[in-house]
Amino acid sequence: MILTTIAARFTSPLRSEQVAAKLGAWLGASFTVAFATGLFSHFLQHPPAWLLWPSRPVNLYRVTQGLHVIGGIATIPLLLAKLWAVYPKLWQWPPFRSAGHAVERLCVLLLVAGALFQLVTGVLNIAYVYPWPFGFLQAHYWTAYIVYGALLIHVVNEWAKVRRSLLTRVESPDRRRFLLTVAAACGLTVLVTAGEAVTPLERLAVLAPRNPRVGPQGVPVNRSAAAAGVAADPDYRLLVTGAVRTPLSLRHADLVRMPQHTVRLPISCVEGWSVECEWTGIRLRDLLLSAGAAPDAFVTVESLERTGAYRTSEIRPPHWTDPLTLLALRINGQPLDADHGFPVRLITPNRPGVQQTKWVKEVRVA
Amino acid sequence: MRWAGHAVGAALVVIGLGGLAAEGVLVGWALWFGGVLVVHDALLAPGVAVAGTVISRWPRPVRTALILAGTLFLATLPTVLAPGRRADNPSILPLAYGVNLVIVLAVIALLAVADHLLSASRKD
Repeated sequence: MILTTIAARFTSPLRSEQVAAKLGAWLGASFTVAFATGLFSHFLQHPPAWLLWPSRPVNLYRVTQGLHVIGGIATIPLLLAKLWAVYPKLWQWPPFRSAGHAVERLCVLLLVAGALFQLVTGVLNIAYVYPWPFGFLQAHYWTAYIVYGALLIHVVNEWAKVRRSLLTRVESPDRRRFLLTVAAACGLTVLVTAGEAVTPLERLAVLAPRNPRVGPQGVPVNRSAAAAGVAADPDYRLLVTGAVRTPLSLRHADLVRMPQHTVRLPISCVEGWSVECEWTGIRLRDLLLSAGAAPDAFVTVESLERTGAYRTSEIRPPHWTDPLTLLALRINGQPLDADHGFPVRLITPNRPGVQQTKWVKEVRVA
Repeated sequence: MRWAGHAVGAALVVIGLGGLAAEGVLVGWALWFGGVLVVHDALLAPGVAVAGTVISRWPRPVRTALILAGTLFLATLPTVLAPGRRADNPSILPLAYGVNLVIVLAVIALLAVADHLLSASRKD
């Protein structure tokens, strides 16, 4: 019976408990970082009513989302190596020794399939390929709980081996060389992609989906004006409405005449790329306080876009009262390109790019 | 302690499955969830095992280079093939990825050859 002997046919000494445990410890660390940064990104975009995220540090989201995406790419060689090392176990015979063993293997199935699912969907998503019948956000988000739950169970079950591996040095030169090769493979993926977020490494990012200097006015965009269906309107008015003493209706020329401020803030995309720009415009705080908004009000910024999940964004007090938060009219010294949100776009510290609403037509105070 | 870890882990799994069910995407999700597993376990892993047998006697630097090249290729494949390009937005996938991949693979190959020659000369 061939099935009973498959596992024994994998003879490489590198497919060993020691190698699997070391790689497992690294994977545990990388999935923990991905889960934490992913939850941060999710709840930054969908905060419960009581949660007021701080607007500082300015670059916090840039760092966490860069870690999430670049770290995720670097996890691919790691996961492949780990699955290679433990692959003979898939063919163990008998497949289930007891009911408990069957449950344990089911958890491993959830862990392996879930880990592959997260990396495959993540890497396709940052390359703008969506071949699946579900929303990426919902599937990637909920699967993260499944993976991390299965990971916790697996770590509890394997804790003795993990502990042994953490406490002992890998003595075999072959195993050390293999682990070093896996680490080098992870490092190589980082080297050729990280520059889309870590701008000093930009020229090395030859296989990154974005270059932080390529786009209209030298800055990438996610949604073009054409895709958003927004065209220049000579009758444009920026409206400030809702719970204010004096509702405002301002032409572009009025906005240009108001006191202008210049700040340096990154645009940090959920897809991992980011780049710091110089923005010039009016402080949202000045505008709202002059209209008579309460300083603890929740504010919604609405775009000229008619459709799309990100045509509005909510902006809570810590962010809109921050002096760095602008309704920007200029980027890097030039008037905003249509693709960057002309006539007016929002720019705030420590928020994902999708919430930096472009083509702002209305600021509504609740 | 073990039961606490198991309980937290199981709760997270239930939260995730419940969330997918509530979104009404469980079936499409399950096809992909199982699909990536089958592609790995039935195609990729056996393929790599066969390739590993073929190259088992090749010089060590060459085997190292093949691991680096293979994992890099898989990790960047959707970017390199770039089916996500869009006419209205040239800032998406803006680089010549095919050429770039060839250059990176050539550098890996050169390093492997250099490593092989150096280790061979050390043995003499």
